[in-house]
Amino acid sequence: MTSAAEQTRSDIVAMLPRLRRFARALTGSLADADDIVQIAVERALMRMDQYQQGTRLDSWLFSITRNAWIDEARSRTRRGKVFAPAEAGEQVGYGGEAEVHTKLEADDVWTAMRKLPEDQREAVALVCVEGLAYREAADALGIPIGTLTSRLARGRETLQVMLGGAR
Amino acid sequence: MSVDNEKLMAFADGELTGAERAEVEAALEHDEALRARLEAHHHMGARLSSAFDGALIEPVPQRLAEAAQTPRQAEVIDFATRHAAKWSVREWGAMAASVAFGLVVGVGVMQQPQPMLVTADSGLTAGGALTQALDSQLASDTAAAVRIGLSFRNQSGGFCRTFDLTAGGASGVACRSESGWSIPLISGSAGGGEVRTASAPAEILNAVDQMIAGDPMDAEAERAARDAGWR
Repeated sequence: MTSAAEQTRSDIVAMLPRLRRFARALTGSLADADDIVQIAVERALMRMDQYQQGTRLDSWLFSITRNAWIDEARSRTRRGKVFAPAEAGEQVGYGGEAEVHTKLEADDVWTAMRKLPEDQREAVALVCVEGLAYREAADALGIPIGTLTSRLARGRETLQVMLGGAR
Repeated sequence: MSVDNEKLMAFADGELTGAERAEVEAALEHDEALRARLEAHHHMGARLSSAFDGALIEPVPQRLAEAAQTPRQAEVIDFATRHAAKWSVREWGAMAASVAFGLVVGVGVMQQPQPMLVTADSGLTAGGALTQALDSQLASDTAAAVRIGLSFRNQSGGFCRTFDLTAGGASGVACRSESGWSIPLISGSAGGGEVRTASAPAEILNAVDQMIAGDPMDAEAERAARDAGWR
């Protein structure tokens, strides 16, 4: 016997790996990513009555995750806390897991993504990293599809310039 | 010059249909510069997925799994029917794998950027640019999103290949099965980025030692196996 809410909960659990991937692309930080995924999951469960069975759960969750990140970024600005993403070498010396994390966050692609303006980064994360169709990505962000495509195009061009042809 | 950046991007993302799509396809046939721009799009897509796909293969932290299992006010009524038993991590993993598989299969549009690592019921398998590289790339080829290392036969006679994802820092072993390339081992702890040496990390080489029958294939045998479709 599985209730609709219980089914949705299982589906949310199953979405966790993809939510983490999206949140990493969005925040450029492993720790921030997991923090906002946790906030997003808690919010999603609080608002399960707002989720319409049969509609795309992933778009709904991406939207909540993205809003959680916007709120977090705003509250950091309010608190006057400087948002400083990990740069290469900053945390070297901890060894083990911390070192692997630093290496990953210092990857060229992560660094370039962090430098993108927020609106372009979220478009790139949904379409290029998560593989959403333009329509779905636009709905998740609550913007017209034309706005989505122009942000996406600008984001990609900027990434292309920053990353160049280097591999 | 009729194909502007946004249109080419939409084509690369599998968003164009009908006449618009045919128009870009026709332009691609005679426009080498356009083909190069399309290639750059695909290359960027592959770099982005290899940089972030690690999240799909890492275990989900306990606190996140717990957050998703904790009842919230809005659903109290529904929880009257909830099982008393807590799920184990293994069950979560299996659920994650089967649903992720469904989602990936659902995105079967041509040209759509595909993730390189896909969780299937049977375990981790290759997708997108990784499948392409495992199918057709030789160790001597210039590495793009994927670098191919050793190719060898395992003890049941199947073909296996080691690979590196050039961004995102994962290395692994893939073995050819009926349905594609399964990935019995992947290591996320390799350096990553452009400065990596060609040698696979020790963990991967140890696994190869355990799996291999005879010697690794030389360039000629590798090419012949590739041309025969790894069968």
